[in-house]
Amino acid sequence: MSDTTRVLEVSGLRAGYDGIAVLDEVDFTVGDEVFAILGANGAGKTTLLATLARLNPLMAGTVTFRGTDISRMRAYQSAGLGVGYVPQERGVFPDLTVMDNLRVGGMFGDRSVSERIDEVFAFFPDLKRKLNLRAGTLSGGESRMVACGRALMQEPTLLLLDEPTAGLSPLYVSTFFEAIRRIRVERQVAIVVAEQNATQALGVADRVMVLSLGQKSAVMDASELTTEQLKHAYQI
Amino acid sequence: MVLDTFLISGLFHVVMLIGLALLLHLQLGLSRIANFGVVGFWGVGLYAFGVLYVRVDWPFGDPIQFVVCAALATVAAGLCGLLVGWLIADLDVDGVMVGTLGFATAVALLATTEQDLTGGALGMGGLRFPYDTGDVAVNELIWLLVLVALVAGILAYVWLVHRNPYGRLLIAIGSNEPLAKSLGKPATRTKLGLFTVTSALMGLLGAMYGVMVRFLEVSSLGIELTLAAVVGLVVGGSVRVLGAVVGVLLTVGVFDIVIQSYIPLPADWYTQTIPLLREVMFGLALILVLVFRPLGLLGHMRRDRLMKRIHGA
Repeated sequence: MSDTTRVLEVSGLRAGYDGIAVLDEVDFTVGDEVFAILGANGAGKTTLLATLARLNPLMAGTVTFRGTDISRMRAYQSAGLGVGYVPQERGVFPDLTVMDNLRVGGMFGDRSVSERIDEVFAFFPDLKRKLNLRAGTLSGGESRMVACGRALMQEPTLLLLDEPTAGLSPLYVSTFFEAIRRIRVERQVAIVVAEQNATQALGVADRVMVLSLGQKSAVMDASELTTEQLKHAYQI
Repeated sequence: MVLDTFLISGLFHVVMLIGLALLLHLQLGLSRIANFGVVGFWGVGLYAFGVLYVRVDWPFGDPIQFVVCAALATVAAGLCGLLVGWLIADLDVDGVMVGTLGFATAVALLATTEQDLTGGALGMGGLRFPYDTGDVAVNELIWLLVLVALVAGILAYVWLVHRNPYGRLLIAIGSNEPLAKSLGKPATRTKLGLFTVTSALMGLLGAMYGVMVRFLEVSSLGIELTLAAVVGLVVGGSVRVLGAVVGVLLTVGVFDIVIQSYIPLPADWYTQTIPLLREVMFGLALILVLVFRPLGLLGHMRRDRLMKRIHGA
């Protein structure tokens, strides 16, 4: 991978909560691609993404985003550089309408908010009919669309998606992964997606990292991942 | 005689509490900063104004003296807001409540113990209106109208906040601070700015009150003022612009105007029974609203309309 295509470089990362490390010695590099992080419950996927979004402090290691060390930055500073984050839960502002959720995401930036909202509708057309509803009244699938749309309003160059389809119906899962594929192709955004649904994730990912009990066990092309490695990742 | 001075005093109290509840609405209703030390910031404004007005030998008289002292009192309350806001910035809701309550207690203690400056438990006189019409009732009525104009300005500001991106940002930070940060919003700085400005305005309301009563008493720095603002806001609906107005009118307005001015009761009731009953009723109203109407009266009206729209019922 050349320097120009290195979007995110993670080196010797250790992170956790209250002094207890959940992740240890995690290294990987993400290019202009869809990079999937697979692993069983408790593997540390959510901790890793929250750390990359700078919502969780690093205990050791470095995170470099497009050549800038963001290891000590606050979340709003790394977001300002172009890191978008969609958390697994509580990804919307429930007291705001769908429209206002999108507007909050588009508060900064040069292009007009309405233009960016139209682009979000291109990926998630169902949101058009829900614009004036409070986000707290939406279904799980609709909330995820709003959360992802709101992150896109920031015009990120790296999008971190934490289990975007967890708990969703099969119809929403397919819709969501199709949207991820289109976002990658049409917006040229590098995407890191942590996902339990390995089959769907491998369908859109260029490369995959398997995380097991807080440690990286493998990074490879998505097409190279074997069933045995997958079983090991999910501790089956 | 334009208006009964007792009624003017009651109206002044109600309008001032509407102002405090509106400012608390920005803090608690939008940004979820659980400020239980409203009286502390109000008290800093009240006592800073009183001390500056009475103790300092100004080279000019009213109305410039009033304007300068009120401005400095507002700044003092704002600086306290900045300091307290910075200290509580990373605390959870419980911590913020305790921290702000502790600040209010410290202000009351300082006002009591710094007798040379504040007059302590004996109080401090010497305040006056920045004008004199020769009739106390007219002076008070004019002062009431000045307060109404100030609170109308606060209401207009709150209304504007609800309709611009800054208001959306406050709601976003209040409902999910980490998420707001991940969107590139400096949440702590935004909350600190809001807390400083609203605390300063609480201080200005304190200075206005000082002029109206013309005598500073430490007993005015009790929890009752905070309780009245919180109860009014919660009863009306903490997330609605008019929630503070409706809530304060239904609680403080009923007690301080309707009962005290229009219901004929034995004389000693007004000084002993009613104040006690007032606190009991406020506590009861708070419990009942939180159990049966947690969004407040106006909050539930909006929710019912929303549900009708969603379900077509």
